[in-house]
Amino acid sequence: MKYLPLIWAALRRKPARTLLTCFSIVTAFFLFGTLQGINVGIANIEKLLSVSHLIVQSRVNQGAAMPLAHEVQIESVPGVTAVAPFTIVIGTYQRPNNPMIIIGSDFDAMLKISSDLIVAPEQAAALRRTRNGVIVGVTTMKQYGWKVGDRIPIHGIAPKADGTSDWQFDIVGTYTLQQPDWATRIWGNYDFINEALATGKNQSVLFYVGISDPAKSAAIAQAIDDRFANSPDQTNTANEKDSIESTLSQIGNINFLVNGVVGAVLFTLLFLTSNTIAQSVRERTAELAVLKTLGFTDAGVQWLVLAEALALAMVSAALGVALSSRVLPWLTSGPALSAQGIGAMHVPTLVYAAAAVVALLLALISGVPPAVRARRLNIVAALSGR
Amino acid sequence: MAAVVSLQNVVKSYTRGRQRVEVLHSLNLEVQSGEFLGLMGPSGSGKTTLLNLIGGLDKPDEGQITVAGERLDRLSGSQMAAWRARHVGFVFQFYNLLPVLSAERNVEVPLLLTKLSRAQRKTNVAAALALVGLSDRASHKPTELSGGQQQRVAIARALIADPTLLVCDEPTGDLDRESAEEILQLLTILNQKQGKTIVMVTHDPRAAAYASRLLHMDKGTLARDESRTAA
Repeated sequence: MKYLPLIWAALRRKPARTLLTCFSIVTAFFLFGTLQGINVGIANIEKLLSVSHLIVQSRVNQGAAMPLAHEVQIESVPGVTAVAPFTIVIGTYQRPNNPMIIIGSDFDAMLKISSDLIVAPEQAAALRRTRNGVIVGVTTMKQYGWKVGDRIPIHGIAPKADGTSDWQFDIVGTYTLQQPDWATRIWGNYDFINEALATGKNQSVLFYVGISDPAKSAAIAQAIDDRFANSPDQTNTANEKDSIESTLSQIGNINFLVNGVVGAVLFTLLFLTSNTIAQSVRERTAELAVLKTLGFTDAGVQWLVLAEALALAMVSAALGVALSSRVLPWLTSGPALSAQGIGAMHVPTLVYAAAAVVALLLALISGVPPAVRARRLNIVAALSGR
Repeated sequence: MAAVVSLQNVVKSYTRGRQRVEVLHSLNLEVQSGEFLGLMGPSGSGKTTLLNLIGGLDKPDEGQITVAGERLDRLSGSQMAAWRARHVGFVFQFYNLLPVLSAERNVEVPLLLTKLSRAQRKTNVAAALALVGLSDRASHKPTELSGGQQQRVAIARALIADPTLLVCDEPTGDLDRESAEEILQLLTILNQKQGKTIVMVTHDPRAAAYASRLLHMDKGTLARDESRTAA
């Protein structure tokens, strides 16, 4: 600790250069933390996805609405245990820049389909009784400071049948999941929302389908799609896991992309940091010689230079990852993801550890050559400017 | 008086390009404890080389060097570093202070190598700065100090570990007349009141006048040895 002023002084020698290098490392590790966090987040999504229920979407366009009449036909397919339609209200809460999505569905059917939804029976019953009632995920409740009994006004982006755009929903209960962070959806009653809509009545953007045997999910999905093969509203059915994985695969190999971007950034950073440390040591040749003159050993001077590289890399990396740990949940807590039941992503502990290892390697690779040069520095030659 | 510095048949040479140049030729010298030795001579006469050998910054090719009871020619690099920290204080022509550290931090640097606590280091630094008359400039950076003040800080740094020997390489070479006088008077006080042995290289006859003994070097040998009454 007593050598900290010397290390700090060396870094302060050219504040602009140190700050710019620090900023570069912070940026690189911010990207590292954020992208790796997303990578891990996606892997977690895939782990949580279920094969025990199906999602029926429009074959034409994933977001296109299908007739509600499909619900009855889907229910009649052998192996189907329950069907829940989805209609949505898109609007804003309190401020125009605070978007909100409310899903109108058959919550009782959802409880049958999705066994991981945890909700108190009396609150599920309250939703049944209250037409404008909603059950809100615990994470969203916490985010907005809501409590059961609150009324939440939503200003819809589309006008309702009565000509207004304002919705009033009463919170009658909350739900949670095994992973509470992901309890972000707002569930309302399909009938209440459907009746109030000006356009898109009696339609569903997707159907959640419960099945009796997950092993037969592919056959049941095919049977559902066959049922609508000659319909103008053809369907595309898959279990949740396949459906999401198919969507993600359209983006490309995310893992490869993330690692490629992070690798390129860190590789570039290596040259930058190496150059900074090497230049800093070259400029301080005489000062390092003075330290040796005063009694610092060759090894001592070598460690001081290495400590500078370590301090620069580790502190900047910590700042970068800390920044990503604040930004990533914010980036991934938008209403679009919340409505999909995807909670905010976080930078996992493993990524912090990986960042520490990468920063250590960065410091060693960029710091060792100048540190060795400092160790070999000849006092007499350095002091005489040779 | 006992000899603090003893050189016997010391030879030192450097390689310049393809040529090997012998800078010191079989040099013999003794410096007694409490002496203020001035080293004079033309450029290239070997003054600084001799000073570097006495200060443990370099090793001889041949011969023996004993300073403060230690055979320097036998010490390893790390032993030499530890020895320098304990026994020698250096004062350079261009002060060689660390530019981003305040005066007190600069003076504290040699004490970082000791086991003294932070409080003890602070007390010693304050005492050293008071000795050189710079207590009121403790928090100033070198760039905020005059040349004379910077050299005083360098002297405080040289004294802080209470060394046996002060080695000064042209300590007034970069100073105006008035500042140079102040530095030389300070060195004289350290020599006479605190009994510090001082070896000083100088080109300036006025600076040399402060030495109690003056050695003239020429072409790597001691040309003349004058004992004198200090100014």
